[in-house]
Amino acid sequence: MSDIIEIKNITKEFKVLNRREGLLGSFKDLFSRNYKTVRAVDNISMTVGQGEIVGYLGPNGAGKSTTIKMMTGVLEPTSGEILVGGSIPYKNRTKNAQEIGVVFGQRSQLWWALPLVESFRILRDIYQIPEQNYKDMLELYQSLVDIEPLLHKPVRQMSLGQRTLSDILAAFLHDPKIVFLDEPTIGLDVSMKAKIRTLIHALNREKKTTVILTTHDMGDVDALCRRIVIIDKGKMLYDNDIEHLKSFFGSYRTLKVRADGDLREQAEVIQGELPDMKVWADDEWISVLVDEEKAKVLDVLGKLQQSHSIRDMKLEEISTEEVIKKIYEEGVK
Amino acid sequence: MKRKGLRFYLRIYRKILAQDIKSKMSYRADFIISTIGMIFTNIAGFVSFWILFRSFPSINGWSYHEMLFLYGFSLVSLTPVQCLFDNNWSLRQYVYTGDFIKYCFRPINLFFYFQSEVFDIKGLGQLAFGIATIAYSWSKIGLGFSALMLLKLIVFLLTASLIMIAMQNAAAATCFWIQNSFYVLDLAFGMKDYAKYPITIFSTVFKFIFTFVVPIAFIAYYPSLVILRPDEIPLLSWLSPLVGIVFFYLSYRFWMYGAMKYSGTGS
Amino acid sequence: MKLKKYLTLTRAGIIEALQFRLSAFIMVVGNILYLIIVYFLWKAIYASSGSDVVNGMTFHDTLIYLVLATALFNFMEMYTVWQMGRSIQSGKIVLDLIKPMNCRSYLFWSYSGNFVVNFFFTFLPTFIIVSAVTDGAVPLGINLLYFVCSVVMAIVINYSIDFFVGTICVYTESIWGINIMKQVVVRLLSGAMIPIAFFPEALRSVIYYLPFQWIYNAPLTLLLDGSPGTDKVLEVLGTQLIWCVVMTVLSKLFWRFSLRQITVNGG
Repeated sequence: MSDIIEIKNITKEFKVLNRREGLLGSFKDLFSRNYKTVRAVDNISMTVGQGEIVGYLGPNGAGKSTTIKMMTGVLEPTSGEILVGGSIPYKNRTKNAQEIGVVFGQRSQLWWALPLVESFRILRDIYQIPEQNYKDMLELYQSLVDIEPLLHKPVRQMSLGQRTLSDILAAFLHDPKIVFLDEPTIGLDVSMKAKIRTLIHALNREKKTTVILTTHDMGDVDALCRRIVIIDKGKMLYDNDIEHLKSFFGSYRTLKVRADGDLREQAEVIQGELPDMKVWADDEWISVLVDEEKAKVLDVLGKLQQSHSIRDMKLEEISTEEVIKKIYEEGVK
Repeated sequence: MKRKGLRFYLRIYRKILAQDIKSKMSYRADFIISTIGMIFTNIAGFVSFWILFRSFPSINGWSYHEMLFLYGFSLVSLTPVQCLFDNNWSLRQYVYTGDFIKYCFRPINLFFYFQSEVFDIKGLGQLAFGIATIAYSWSKIGLGFSALMLLKLIVFLLTASLIMIAMQNAAAATCFWIQNSFYVLDLAFGMKDYAKYPITIFSTVFKFIFTFVVPIAFIAYYPSLVILRPDEIPLLSWLSPLVGIVFFYLSYRFWMYGAMKYSGTGS
Repeated sequence: MKLKKYLTLTRAGIIEALQFRLSAFIMVVGNILYLIIVYFLWKAIYASSGSDVVNGMTFHDTLIYLVLATALFNFMEMYTVWQMGRSIQSGKIVLDLIKPMNCRSYLFWSYSGNFVVNFFFTFLPTFIIVSAVTDGAVPLGINLLYFVCSVVMAIVINYSIDFFVGTICVYTESIWGINIMKQVVVRLLSGAMIPIAFFPEALRSVIYYLPFQWIYNAPLTLLLDGSPGTDKVLEVLGTQLIWCVVMTVLSKLFWRFSLRQITVNGG
């Protein structure tokens, strides 16, 4: 597997204006302003192979978009090296653009008033897609999703789900080597999310397209990514397999029980009984996070049964969501 | 990858323009009202002109009909900026919301791609007014007619139009650096209203400014001298096509420089 | 306290306006350029007329009139039609409707901060400069009081017209078209660009019965006339008052009627 993206120690800094507050502050701003430098991306390195799907994660404002903008050639890094398909993106923006596709979950890049097929035709001309490839691609699309009814519908009349689907199809149309997906499933219902994930997966498999996926939805990550990269405050926190990550927390399991009475009150009582474990409650369950190296789940359950009337229980492996949450909060040890 | 020549760009331009016109047509009421608005603007312009100059046989050595010729000339040479570069007005919005980024991912010239997206049909109304005005004043002044004159007129109109386009490009591009660039754009666009007066009414200092700093004298005055006063054409008139091209090129570079520097406010 | 909630909006508006020092600067540059052109244009017109007094106004009178009209115009331009059009189209209007204040007052007071800023940064300096430069051509006496009364009513008339036109945006998406028509009509017929005195007799008598000239022409006539007769003052202020009432009632009724459209159709 050859590397399609190579990033070495890139850093990006921005100058941001400090605004003063209040009436007096605004008045002062009229005459003098001060700026501060913000490091949005701080010394990040990674390589991505052809055909990989990489989940690129991080809390809001972590520097994800900035990194992606640098990979697409829109931004020039302050320092460091970046190679996409063997060339430097910001120096060969148009050439690089030929090799990539981009989808933003919230903003459509299609022509608003036109039926989808017209947008496709314009894209065909812009990317100079050979007629045969174009036809093959449409056939492939048809075999994956039922695009026929979408093709003749103006984009502005589409539902959000249909629009996202169309945007993804448009991004893959010229058979790019890499597609960047920025929160592709944001705001979609469950079945549409599943449909979009299946589509991305199929296109990745069929076309060997590298996919860089930014998302806050761990369902996307679970369904699509083997490898994840996590950054926060511009710094790389983690870059490896998802499974590997889970093994960090592998010894944790969540014991969920249902008991009589007010769950939240009981949860507080239980927390008192089990001081070194995390206990919380929602409307249905009281959850206890058990570190199996320290205590056995059955022992904990037994202990609970002595003082509470347990009506129901279940056991959960730690989810990706919780792992990521832990990483955001505590970092990787 | 194939080389992207002029033919490639012309074809893309046609396609993208067609989509804009189609979508404009789908908002018919808006289209009609905007067109009426445009006609209103032109009529009001003529009424103002008439109120100002009706009682004077000549202003500063310029007869009423010569002034009218200048006016018509400015209307025509301002049509391209109105029709073809109207998307400049939206640039600020795209940059502010971060949507501008979508233009950056295509394998074609960014400036071209952005401008091609909008064609303002109602500008054609202005073109019609302008041509009619030129024709009317032409016959009233009794300039005579030859194919060469027509050719000169067309060439000078085209190159004159580049000046306003350049000013608008440059003004629109300021939004890559400053937030409230609307005022800059509005200021630059407002200059068009002053293009229709002969530059001889100004004092020397302002003659210089309107020729070399804010070159509005090249929108109508200098180029139309070639037709209006064929016996005493100043050098600047002959240079006006070159000035148009140079200014346009500079504004293009400035626009692209801004777009490349643009760091995106949105996510 | 009722007034307090309005003044909060004024304060927020001032802060917002101060953020944009560049736009203020550009507006000043734009005005200066405009005034330079006005100066030379009218100078040429007066020079060509061969007499010092044209249509009852000297060159000085005309110039002072136009300078102050421009200052007043910038002071009163509120972009109401744009704002209303946008918020109606985006559906943001619903947010304005649930504010504990009626929409008409909310929009007005949100903008009022700009009145304060514009007054101190553009109108007052212009006025002082004009009075100083023309050395007493602007009479300073009881006419100032009339002027202030007249301007206050002019603001009300202007805002009511804007609000009325803005309401039309409930029915059409064509904000640009609607706005340009209003702008063109108001600018020309209010005497903001050419003093009403220069209009042909027939046109002038028509304009007398329209609300527009009471926005710019009325306050400026009162200001520039050093010792206006009580009759004239009463006539002008009285007519303005009538227009205030008529336009306010009309715009309110139209808004209330159109609001039903929004609430029924969901905006």
